[in-house]
Amino acid sequence: MDKIARIDMGAAGGPKVTVGDLGEYAGLGGRAMTSLVVAAEVHPQAHPLGAENKLVIAPGMLSGTTGSMTGRLSVGCKSPLTGTIKESNAGGQAAQVLARLGYAAVILEGKPEGDDLYKIVINKDGIQVVVDNSLKLLDNYPLVAKLRQEYGDKVAYMTIGSAGERKLLSASIACTDPELRPTRHCGRGGVGAVMGAKMVKAIIIDDAGMKMRPPKNPDAYRDANRKFVEGLRKHPVTGEGLPAYGTNVLTNVLNEAGGYPTNNFKTGQFEGGSKISGEAQAELEIKRGGSATHGCHRGCVIQCSGIFNDKDGNYVTKQPEYETVWSHGGHCGISNLDTIAKLDYIDDNIGVDTIEMGVTIGVAMDAGLAEFGDDAAAIRLMEEVEKGTPLGRVLGCGAAITGKVFGLERVPVVKDQALPAYDPRAVQGIGVTYATSTQGADHTMGYAIATNILKVGGDVDPLKPEGQVELSRNLQIATAAIDSTGMCLFIAFAILDQPETFQALLDMLGSFHGITMTGDDVVALGKKVLSAERDFNARAGFTKHHDRLPRFFHNEAIAPHNLTFMVKDEELDELFNW
Amino acid sequence: MVVCLQGEAGITFCFALQVNRVDYTMNCTSPIAPEMQRITLELPENLLHIFFPILQKGIRVPAMVGCSLKSLLCEQFAIPADYVTGRITTIFFNNSPVDDLDQTIVQDDSRITLSAAMPGLVGATMRRGGYYAALRGGISHIVDHGGAEAEYGTVRLKLFNLLLAELGPLVLARGLILEHDELIDLLKNLPGHSGDLSASSGKVFLAVRFSY
Repeated sequence: MDKIARIDMGAAGGPKVTVGDLGEYAGLGGRAMTSLVVAAEVHPQAHPLGAENKLVIAPGMLSGTTGSMTGRLSVGCKSPLTGTIKESNAGGQAAQVLARLGYAAVILEGKPEGDDLYKIVINKDGIQVVVDNSLKLLDNYPLVAKLRQEYGDKVAYMTIGSAGERKLLSASIACTDPELRPTRHCGRGGVGAVMGAKMVKAIIIDDAGMKMRPPKNPDAYRDANRKFVEGLRKHPVTGEGLPAYGTNVLTNVLNEAGGYPTNNFKTGQFEGGSKISGEAQAELEIKRGGSATHGCHRGCVIQCSGIFNDKDGNYVTKQPEYETVWSHGGHCGISNLDTIAKLDYIDDNIGVDTIEMGVTIGVAMDAGLAEFGDDAAAIRLMEEVEKGTPLGRVLGCGAAITGKVFGLERVPVVKDQALPAYDPRAVQGIGVTYATSTQGADHTMGYAIATNILKVGGDVDPLKPEGQVELSRNLQIATAAIDSTGMCLFIAFAILDQPETFQALLDMLGSFHGITMTGDDVVALGKKVLSAERDFNARAGFTKHHDRLPRFFHNEAIAPHNLTFMVKDEELDELFNW
Repeated sequence: MVVCLQGEAGITFCFALQVNRVDYTMNCTSPIAPEMQRITLELPENLLHIFFPILQKGIRVPAMVGCSLKSLLCEQFAIPADYVTGRITTIFFNNSPVDDLDQTIVQDDSRITLSAAMPGLVGATMRRGGYYAALRGGISHIVDHGGAEAEYGTVRLKLFNLLLAELGPLVLARGLILEHDELIDLLKNLPGHSGDLSASSGKVFLAVRFSY
């Protein structure tokens, strides 16, 4: 990965491609690449859907290699949903293929005049930007099916559905999985709307004729990867729990803990929780001839995904993840896995973030547009988004907009991004991350639970109540670093408990790039990324007063623990003091 | 009276009805009323999954209460101590994550939930004595100081994820108390059985043995 492609979609005479060397961005990957480019090159006051914004697409530092779990793709820009800097990442095949073609980043710049819709073809011969208005308003599944007729099955596709073309603020960018289904999404923050604003409907990435990226030290890399895979396979979470049940295994646990936001955050337990648990979901998938174990990209050994079929054994969607099952399930009072799977399919097809859309439907229910638990109404509201009706456009712009339009006070957002599936009153520490994240409410911003191994922030007493801000800070630093490697965040479970697995990861990075990496280097990278993101947000007008949860979390106690969010504002303000 | 039904695929259901004796699976004198209907099912192991929904939702099991949670698990339920330590990494007691099994005292009607290690930050947060326990400090179980008088009672037990298959047979063999209607619903899921057991009502003590 020794080059960056810049595609000026607004160039005079039509889109113009420039390929250059890495320059100051040498050695970066994933979130480090996207955030440092956006922070340096995008005007912080730019309109997110305007010509000044840039959409940065970057594989991870080890993508395109034989290494396991290296297939995350980062997409960054100024978010139209939050107004902050944004990095959203996904699995699928795109990162591997793009990296093998040698691109450390592809940056979409400018904005074309007129209504023409473009597709971008990237292969070993270069990059072509082609007008293709026959793709207009196709949703992701039919869009990919049409593209496959022209470009075949040995490529990776990045696409937007109708939501991205309509520039809805919850619009995602889909990446195809190994079976070429558009199921893996850069979901959060409306990155699909930015791609739509640049009139790019699809990116076709073809690595025919290219080889795996060669490590500087092949033997050491092979050995480190072997140890890394062994570590993942022997760990109970990455080797057993996730392959058997997927991330939805969390439903029962969160529900039991009273931290499962139900009926738009009114209570912490959902009566129908066990009906939509990962355990129930896996059993149903297997019974119907689907699968509870599936990888989102080649080279994945965790295999946390699956295939959800209908009662007749026909494919409906990939295995909905925990956050999706929650947002369309308990958050809306819905306890039917078939309904949730259908909603997940609609999300993927039109190209919207499942968390944002599910939370929005729950907000709409709370505002009186439907009853909680009304499956048919939830589908009907999603179909409004699918059709692009005025109501659908409101809903498609997310929970914050919907809450304002319908005059609702209980709107679970931070920086206008919907909260995920963990109530911050029950798990106060995650509330700290929701409030202070550089990207709006996002559980994955403080997800890399290996801070003890990384020694981020030194030794913290885990049972010390005042340690929550410190823990969240360290988690956010570690996560920024892991996101920059392009490794799947789920590796964190194994490196949390197994120092030898963390060492194997460092050895993979070191032997591939011919450098020596230490935990300190990883921490420094994380801090650098977070600092750049924080600085961008400050220049965009964000202050500490935006690092807050909605007031209802402070005022409304949640059952069964009868707690409000109690972390003080002054404590939150300390998070970025390092 | 023993009722044996021949089901599909050679499955045999044996119902030992109203047998007035202490069940072989009980380690302590049962709190089960003598008049309570007792049923023992003998099933092939491949039908274990039929019980997963009720194990997730929670079953009522007889127990000697007033003891520590560790004692309940290791001594009464006979779960090996190293399994409890290494495998049951997430435990909830009345909806609160537990960090100290020795200082958690089981009472009559306590709700106990057992889970293997969970993914995600919050999964790690819920771990017993885990590095991120502070993040859920507000809901953690506060240790019980001092003991309580030992007495017969029942606890509500839930099993999640990997523990369903691993501990399910042990728990079911030990026996559970359920309403007659719940039993009928359960039996309906067994192949070859309509669930039409008898016209009786009230509580039932059920033990399930699996053949391998």
